[in-house]
Amino acid sequence: MMSYVADFIFMPLIAFVTGLGLVLMARRVRAKIERRVGPPVLQPIYDIVKLYAKKTQISHGIMHDLSIMMLLGGFITAEIFLPVPGFDGLAGEGDLITLIYIMMVPMLGLALGVGSCANPNGSIGISRALTAMLAYDIPFIIAVTGACMAYGTTNLIEIVQIQQAGGPASWGAATMPLLAFGGLLAVHGMMGKEPFEIYIAPAEIATGPMVEMSGKYMGALFIMQCFQLYTIGVIYTTLFLGGGENWPFFLAKVFAVVFISVAVTNVYGRFKTDTMIRWMWKWPTGIALAGLALVMAN
Amino acid sequence: MSLLLRRRFFWEEIDLMSLLDILLLVAALLASGLFVLGRGSFAGWLATVVYGLMLAVLAIAGLALDSGVAFIPSAMSFEILGRNLGWRLDGLGWFFALLTVGAAFFASWYGSGEWGRKQKRMGLQHALLALNVLAMLLLLSSGDLLSLFIGWELVSWAAFAIMTQGGGPAVAAAYRYMIYALAGAMAVFAAIMLVQNVTGGLGFADLQTAISAMSTAQVWVLFILFAAGFGVKMALMPFHLWQAPAYSETPGASSAFLNAVSARMGLFALILVLVKLTGLEALGSLAIPFTFMSAKSALMWVAAITMVVPTFIALMQTDARMLLTWHGIGQGGYMLLGVLVGTSLGTAGGLMHVFNYATYQAALFLAVTAVIHRAGTSDLDELGGLITRMPWTYVTLLMGIIGLAGLPPMNGFVSKWMIYKSLLDGGQPLLLIMAFAATLGTILSVYKLIHNIFLGQLRREHQHLKEAPVSMVLPMLILAGIGFVTGFMPGLALNITDIAQRAIGGDMLPHHLGGVTLATGSLNMLWVVGVLIGAIGAGALIFYLLGNRRYEVHQFDNYAGGHFLSADIRYHFSHEFYPGLARVIGPWYRGSIVRAEQGIGILVNVAGDLWQAVFRVAYTPLYMLLVVVLGLVFTGSWGIVP
Amino acid sequence: MSDKLPVIEDQPEICRSVDAGERSVWTRVMNRFADHCRARSLFVLHYCTGCGAIELPPTITSRFDMERVGVSPMVTPRQADILLITGYLSIKTLKRVILSYEQMQSPKYVIGFGSCTINGGMYWNSYATVKRLDQYIPADLFIAGCMPRPEAVQQVLLKLMEDIDAGKANGWQDYYNNYDRYLGNQQALFGESWHTPTDVIAEAKHYGYLADGTMGRHTDLLLKRADYALDRVPEDYPERGKNERRLP
Repeated sequence: MMSYVADFIFMPLIAFVTGLGLVLMARRVRAKIERRVGPPVLQPIYDIVKLYAKKTQISHGIMHDLSIMMLLGGFITAEIFLPVPGFDGLAGEGDLITLIYIMMVPMLGLALGVGSCANPNGSIGISRALTAMLAYDIPFIIAVTGACMAYGTTNLIEIVQIQQAGGPASWGAATMPLLAFGGLLAVHGMMGKEPFEIYIAPAEIATGPMVEMSGKYMGALFIMQCFQLYTIGVIYTTLFLGGGENWPFFLAKVFAVVFISVAVTNVYGRFKTDTMIRWMWKWPTGIALAGLALVMAN
Repeated sequence: MSLLLRRRFFWEEIDLMSLLDILLLVAALLASGLFVLGRGSFAGWLATVVYGLMLAVLAIAGLALDSGVAFIPSAMSFEILGRNLGWRLDGLGWFFALLTVGAAFFASWYGSGEWGRKQKRMGLQHALLALNVLAMLLLLSSGDLLSLFIGWELVSWAAFAIMTQGGGPAVAAAYRYMIYALAGAMAVFAAIMLVQNVTGGLGFADLQTAISAMSTAQVWVLFILFAAGFGVKMALMPFHLWQAPAYSETPGASSAFLNAVSARMGLFALILVLVKLTGLEALGSLAIPFTFMSAKSALMWVAAITMVVPTFIALMQTDARMLLTWHGIGQGGYMLLGVLVGTSLGTAGGLMHVFNYATYQAALFLAVTAVIHRAGTSDLDELGGLITRMPWTYVTLLMGIIGLAGLPPMNGFVSKWMIYKSLLDGGQPLLLIMAFAATLGTILSVYKLIHNIFLGQLRREHQHLKEAPVSMVLPMLILAGIGFVTGFMPGLALNITDIAQRAIGGDMLPHHLGGVTLATGSLNMLWVVGVLIGAIGAGALIFYLLGNRRYEVHQFDNYAGGHFLSADIRYHFSHEFYPGLARVIGPWYRGSIVRAEQGIGILVNVAGDLWQAVFRVAYTPLYMLLVVVLGLVFTGSWGIVP
Repeated sequence: MSDKLPVIEDQPEICRSVDAGERSVWTRVMNRFADHCRARSLFVLHYCTGCGAIELPPTITSRFDMERVGVSPMVTPRQADILLITGYLSIKTLKRVILSYEQMQSPKYVIGFGSCTINGGMYWNSYATVKRLDQYIPADLFIAGCMPRPEAVQQVLLKLMEDIDAGKANGWQDYYNNYDRYLGNQQALFGESWHTPTDVIAEAKHYGYLADGTMGRHTDLLLKRADYALDRVPEDYPERGKNERRLP
């Protein structure tokens, strides 16, 4: 029982702190590529505290507030169902498929909240975000399916164990490189980085879903970004990079996954929505399908 | 004390012979009674109470079936042409009957209050609903192929009658349905005659002997006839075009009933004939020449395509009811796919999806009907912002769409999870990917539904709307509540599907209250939902404890690039909600199936015109001659073939 | 919602009593901490209709790098802390500035950039431009010059951060406290029917920023004229739209 309590408290906390680091890394890497100094180390915390400390907090109705709760709740749940070194949490009570669908709960929550703001920019942003989700999730799902077929299980703990038993040669990235590569491209889209940041599009639709988010609402979105980067990194690590043997290795892998994405993102502009769909359904999907065919042939 | 010590339970003292008879008798009495009394204001409530009683009877029957009784026979039987025609309710039929009566219960409740009073001929609608229930019960309790066919026809005609109640476009849609249904019935009839020709009998056992006696070609013919005939009813692609207009034009409460269960009659018949009687091994061994596929995998692919294509058609709809009915077609694909996988997990998942679908689809339709009742339209381009005016309807719709999209914590997630998992364990990754893709499309589509109706700008003309009355809100909230409870504790629904699964045969799925435990990954919804609710509670704590108090502003206090918003400006982003996606998949959608149906329609028209011209205008003697020659050939070959 | 719009008759006591929380050590420590973070995380909404916009890209990018002190650009007033008005404002754009300013969340800061915002600058005798920005919205700091260099922008940002850290940048409270005066100036320019969608008085009431100058004869006009609110749809407005479709 105590271990559950520890899981429930520490796993989201670790996720949040790691996520702060990931956000900082993303901003620093971007700054370095642009030959800037970049933000100070505590910048992500300053931003979040500042937003929560705003003296006026405008809301667009109960659903707007509820969406913030769903947002945080959905991601906290996702963290509890992720296996990390030392904590398996509830990873045995719900599998990979469950996890993927739990991660859609905050998306849906955000979408509902933005919709209830009655802002056309926000609605356009959600329309694009959901379209983007349809685009990147199809290659991602193919990669996940292929990996599950190869491991013969959807139990996250077992997936990690299988890879750790055989060492790096049995990591998903080594045994099914095509799936891992297709999955990486999909993950890049999932993080909403250029050229796939169609739903943020600051100069075009004024940050889309976030347009009416202010104060602690925006602060919750900043927290969500921490969770999101961490969760995506951990899922990819679990599927293809052997999960975590111990914390330093594990965090290094998670940071590496996010680093690849943030390192390439700065050289791109923004795709149009339909360009993104076509690209996602052509290259990552094709690569992942080829990987799936290889897995099935074995 | 003596009550507790009694060994026999009360349902064992009731003669089992009579349970089904009671059910059919009550249904028949209700239907005929409502035709007479339907106009009374109490008619709807009376029907609701009777449906409640029928649910109680079904519950007793369920307990009996659960305790090991194979089926509940009926005293009713006829002798036609030397064949005994009988009815009996087994577990599979019981499962569908429960859903039928349950859906009728909620639809009737909904129609008894304010909504019904606004309808033109609500009495007739009540009576037709009861007629539909009777017809479906007859179909579900059919004991041989002939009674199956009779039930089939009754269901088709009853549904036709209720579909026409909308008037106007509803009649055209119902007519179109009838053409499809009759074609399907002809196919079924031909298949039954084929069985009769081979074995000389019409019992279910005769079908099984016929299949073992037939040549492969004959079995193929039988399979195609049955699959196509029953597939029409459950709107399997490519026989799906009738369903969306027909169901969505039906008046609200009846439409919820039809959507929830009517198309599932086709699934029932498919499960009965193809899975239970023919057996999936037999279908699997029916190989398609020159391919790797068998009849079973072909049907699975048809189910998968039925899942994906209608979902993306639904995405493009601009009418709430059309959107939902197109999703209904797509959801049918999931159920069939799950059942066809054939593992205990797949079958249970498919059957549970039937149950789940009935709960959330009925709730969704009732909610949309409530919106029509208040706002006067279900056009997704003409609504918006109703969340402040109709909050309970919003809650229902929200719970319904979470179920439809298959996200936790609603029940739709559990059954879809079981279907995904069975596909994965069954080594069908491509079908699994299609199932995932359809779910993603559903998420997009249902968000558009809720966004365009309830979120965004409230129109000036909807300023003064009120929440729907309790008689409408309560049934739909209860339906949504069932969806949540069976999502939180899927074991409750799995107990019900167990009875049906036992009747189908094959392995049973071991499960517990929270879900299933498998070697390759488990699901315990008690944990998932519990943690999700707890975490949302934590989110609420973070929201309320940190930061200053919230201050609610009105909808025009909104950033629009420095523009001043007012009630005169319509800025709700609702028309063409997914323009980027529409540019990619729009051309596929416009091109394919609808054109094909139009093509067939034109072809039939031209052929009919030609035929008419030839017959009635010019060459009468020539055709007399042709008919005579054909007749001679036919009788000649008849003499040779047997 | 706007049904909370104050009516003059039931005006509450307008002298704000000292909040009990302001005396407690915990609240003071938390406020100090919040001010510390506020000063180090500033999101800027650039209102760039004037010519000064050209000085901002160098301020943001690698030459001067605003982000190293925690200042980053934001695109909507909802998320922004600083409203940076670069250069002259025509009367038409001032309306949008006021709209955007009122949609920002307090604490919020205004920086007037260039001489035009101080005294009209080279447009001192134009009929269509605003001469003094701080008559209409409370400006915290100005950058003099035509035009100021990015160094000056940096300088003023650092000064603002200093002020925020010390709890001195309180122009936003002045807007609540003397709303009637600001509104009067705005009405002088835009006419008596001028209003924005934001209900400043209700907001001030909700968060306890009501003061002597919040309401007066100018805000009385606002209460009469503001027909933006949803609940104020005229009684005779048709209940249903013209394009209503009867459905079964």
